Amino acid sequence: MTYYHQRVLAMTKALYPHRDQAERIALAKQYIDKHYGSILNLDRVAKEACMSKFHFIRLFTRYYGQTPHVYLRDVRMMHARRLLKQGIPIRHVCYAVGFDSVPSFTRLFRQRTGLTPKRAILDKKIPAGTFIFVKSRKP
Amino acid sequence: MKIKLASLFVKDQDKALAFYTDILGFVKKTEIPMGEHKWLTVVSKEEQDGVELVLEPMAFEPARVFQQALFEAGIPFTAFHVDNVEKEFARLEKLGVIFSMKPTSMGAVKLAVFDDTCGNNIQIVQV
Repeated sequence: MTYYHQRVLAMTKALYPHRDQAERIALAKQYIDKHYGSILNLDRVAKEACMSKFHFIRLFTRYYGQTPHVYLRDVRMMHARRLLKQGIPIRHVCYAVGFDSVPSFTRLFRQRTGLTPKRAILDKKIPAGTFIFVKSRKP
Repeated sequence: MKIKLASLFVKDQDKALAFYTDILGFVKKTEIPMGEHKWLTVVSKEEQDGVELVLEPMAFEPARVFQQALFEAGIPFTAFHVDNVEKEFARLEKLGVIFSMKPTSMGAVKLAVFDDTCGNNIQIVQV
């Protein structure tokens, strides 16, 4: 057994002694992965892990290094980017990834990716490496 | 500032390209001849506009010592995400890949470590 493998086993024993707890947290994460497009509330997700909301938030953050709320937001943004690249209209994407307001979706998308949703669609239409020749204006 | 590249030292760039494409399933993105070596990058088939992995030639002795020490301790140089560690482990093992750590749970994640045949341990992670 390598030094690294020994360290992984030792850290698992020290930090994550409750195997069933880890499995319940993983189940709740899978629930988020599957239902990101729905209106999700933390009570519902915590129920998947059979825990109270506050206990769930604390444990999820310990296991995954980010709060369930931030994780859900990132999953939604990842799927939004994928759908926009397929050319799906912004409004449809917004609702498909669980938002109920286009302006708040647009604001968050821009904050997280540095692009507006419209720009994300346009970027897909311009294949990487393509040179765009713009006709210069006559003086 | 954006993170677009991640680098990995490899003993032989051609051998590494074959391993990372034929065995792991990545796709070559760029190959630019640069004298004795080349600028060589691969990307994930599922995220071809994602982060590029640079297969860097090992041409600096102290780096060789560093790589060797990590390898002998079984420490992964880098890690790749997979949907299912067990399935990927079975697929790679069938292709002759040698694992120094078989699928192992750590908290809510599952890990495994294999030899990339180019001097590195690589970890696959199921989150």
